[in-house]
Amino acid sequence: MKFTITRERLHDGLAAVSPTVPAKTTLPVLANILVEAGSDGLRLSGTDLDIAVSTLVPADVDAPGAVTLPAKKLVEIVRELPSAAVRITGAGEQRINLECGRSKFKLLGIAKEEFPNFPPVKFDKAWSVTSADLLKLVNHVSFAASTEESRPILNGVLWELRGEKMRMVATNGHRLAKMDVPASGAKESADLIVPPKALEQIRRLFGAADMIEIAKSENHLGFRTGDTRVFTRLIEGPYPNYEQVIPRENDKVATIDKEALSSALRRVGVVASDQTHRVRLAFSSGTLRFAVSTPDLGEAQDEIAVSYDGEPLEIGFNANYLLEVLKYMPTDEVKFSFKAPERAATIEPAGWDDPAAYLCLVMPLRLVD
Amino acid sequence: MGKIAVLPRTVADQIAAGEVVERPASVVKELVENALDAGASAVTVELEEGGRGLVRVSDDGTGMDRDDTVLAVERHATSKIHSAAELVGVATYGFRGEALSAIASVSKFEMETANGTDGTKVTVTGGRLERVEPVARQRGTTVEVRQIFYNTPARRKFLRSQRSETRAASEALTVLALARLDVHFKLVSDGRVLLDAPRASNVADRIALLFGAVTATGLIPVDGVSGGITVRGFIQRPAEARPAGRKAYLFVNGRPFRDHFLVRAAEAGYRSTIHPGGRPTLFLSIGIPGDAVDVNVHPAKLEVRFRDRMLVERAIEDAVRGALGGGEAAAEFRGERGNEGTGERSLVPLFARSFDSGAQLDSLFDQRSTGASSPAAAPWHGPTAILQVLSTYLLFETPEGIAIVDQHSAHERVLYERTMAQLSGPGAPSQRLLLPLTLDLSPPELEVIETHGDLLNAAGFEVEPFGGRSVVVHAVPNPHPRFDAKRCLEEMVADFARGRFGGWHNRLERFAATYACRAAIKAGQTLGTDEMRDLLARLFACDLPPHDVHGRPTIVQLPRDELERRFGRA
Repeated sequence: MKFTITRERLHDGLAAVSPTVPAKTTLPVLANILVEAGSDGLRLSGTDLDIAVSTLVPADVDAPGAVTLPAKKLVEIVRELPSAAVRITGAGEQRINLECGRSKFKLLGIAKEEFPNFPPVKFDKAWSVTSADLLKLVNHVSFAASTEESRPILNGVLWELRGEKMRMVATNGHRLAKMDVPASGAKESADLIVPPKALEQIRRLFGAADMIEIAKSENHLGFRTGDTRVFTRLIEGPYPNYEQVIPRENDKVATIDKEALSSALRRVGVVASDQTHRVRLAFSSGTLRFAVSTPDLGEAQDEIAVSYDGEPLEIGFNANYLLEVLKYMPTDEVKFSFKAPERAATIEPAGWDDPAAYLCLVMPLRLVD
Repeated sequence: MGKIAVLPRTVADQIAAGEVVERPASVVKELVENALDAGASAVTVELEEGGRGLVRVSDDGTGMDRDDTVLAVERHATSKIHSAAELVGVATYGFRGEALSAIASVSKFEMETANGTDGTKVTVTGGRLERVEPVARQRGTTVEVRQIFYNTPARRKFLRSQRSETRAASEALTVLALARLDVHFKLVSDGRVLLDAPRASNVADRIALLFGAVTATGLIPVDGVSGGITVRGFIQRPAEARPAGRKAYLFVNGRPFRDHFLVRAAEAGYRSTIHPGGRPTLFLSIGIPGDAVDVNVHPAKLEVRFRDRMLVERAIEDAVRGALGGGEAAAEFRGERGNEGTGERSLVPLFARSFDSGAQLDSLFDQRSTGASSPAAAPWHGPTAILQVLSTYLLFETPEGIAIVDQHSAHERVLYERTMAQLSGPGAPSQRLLLPLTLDLSPPELEVIETHGDLLNAAGFEVEPFGGRSVVVHAVPNPHPRFDAKRCLEEMVADFARGRFGGWHNRLERFAATYACRAAIKAGQTLGTDEMRDLLARLFACDLPPHDVHGRPTIVQLPRDELERRFGRA
């Protein structure tokens, strides 16, 4: 193996791949990056067995070859190298020599045969979506997925492909986010449950202008654009029937300034319980009152003006859930709909000039007394 | 007429003796108390045949002159009080003037006494004064009681085996030895020394001597004041309480007494820290104004009467609970060689007659002066670094050494106290579920859901029947971020159905303990730094941080002196 590459290209290639390399692992080869020199350039790959990222960077290859090299050390070396050509030569027995200007390194790797094979996803039956659409879904939905281990299915984001539209849904059982976008390139119907970690890699690697090719095998999903590929394990379904729990008859509707609501929640949330973050919201004609009372700590009250003309109603929430949802709302005003103190409330953007449809749902906390 | 006659004095004495003198051990008790009232600094008790043959009690007290000596063996003759008014707040052990005459009426009795100028010996047989003669001896008194009950064969028949009588006599002396550290006690039985307790500077030393170092190191000091009542002493660490073999010693104003209800009150203070059925060893000394207690209710003064019993029970319960909340109550790491004694540590003197309230034991890790470290330590503001070991134990430095906390036990304690507050208060916060949980249960488990429905609801679980054997859960509590509501509820219901946690008297306590056990962070769960810090902060904010709800310790301390000993720095 023998090739020459600019320091910048090597650096960019490693930056794309190295975040997939797990910080702690029981399988030593996973701490390494697979480096393959071929006729079309240098392919760099990393994986944590759930997700794999692979990218091709241009390089002058004199002799093809492959080896795995320790990701952390390689990244640190390349970061500190001068801006000059980097020459890497195989030195037998998984060793390489790395030269750049007057700097010389010898690194010991692990045989490429030990590196896990990439999932067998074939792109010949791939369909395409615009990166902008996919990223919009990811940006607005994936935050809501669960991080708890008790219900693994909720650790994933449901991605529904339905011909002319795409939908993503995520929930942790206490709050839910759902978005629909019209889709042009979608090919067939499919329900995919994707780990948010994989979506995070897509958000990191793919620009908004790209077209993304997507292909599915039995248990895996592959994303490809240009020379970069992301593979992920799919979570096995079925996903819970979320449609059934999204309320249809929430007849009380308040329209609220998002910033005013967020800052009031942050203020009174200071004295809310660390465990439950419970805040009491009292809606009455034209006003929304906030009240927090935590036995060992103290109390807080606040009030903002809202557009509301329904029956007065009191409802409790985890302030953090509301704040999180508000953070992702794309408009200055939000539509807050509810029916009763023990029923789900929904939050939607008010007056959003966009073909997408976005809805978040938050389950209340019980108010005692 | 002619049917009623005044009994002869000797018969009356014998009847009285039935109340005061039951067995040789009562003789030991009465005579040693007399010695102590006479200001003795050393008391020696000698027994032959378990006291059936001979009880001899010698002291170096004030002694008596000839006239007093003769009078002393008369019934109702005493130097200790002179009028009924003095009965209130009487400070001496004796005052009834019955003991000597009662003992003398049922035995062959000799008393030698000298007050420094005068020496006298009286001999009484079966209550009849035989001889009074001068004798030469050092200041003090020696009483010899031979052939007890020789003239009342009925009583003699009731005496137990020699070993049993010896044990009873030894116990009588032990109680007094606990009360009076300033006196040297010695017990000799058939020439064998059973007990030799030199004057001691603190009760821990004397407990170690009387009961062994293992018992002494398993004790924590009690020091509480409430409503003008002081409660001091030592109690057993909850983790060491066993269902059998406990010792309970109570003293009021230095006077030993028995009171089952006060022992119960002390056990109530242990509530939730010991396994139901565990019986802790107690050494408690109550200080109370003399007019608030009547000691003249029992011939042998084994019982006392308090003017306000509730107040005393409350004081004891509070003091015990206060002591259990302190860092002293945390279990201590001791090696196999570590049980050599407690002399190193200057523990608060128990049963001190004058209380110097120097020791503060109410907050965990409050400075406790050990032999080696300086007592003037700076106030401690919590651990700086916490290390999780084996994904189960949290290890950190304290001013005293190293503390190790069991994360599950600690969290159990935190949740137990919070749940108790929530169950009796407005109820726990509860998160409605978007996707309700369904549980399939067995008939006994369904019954648990029915009988505990109100408590489940107060704890934050909204559970509804769902037809057949299923229930649906609409809302759950959220005691910590890693809480698995379904698993917790399933395990709780199974615990109740199997009768686990069955020993709790109180339904609320039983529920809270079960919930705390099942909802708490499990052993083996890796925790973040903030989570560990938060857990410790919550633990130390509890009423009883060192104990979980099963009677196990939450904290084990590896004190500096133990480290120093192990590394040979001591």
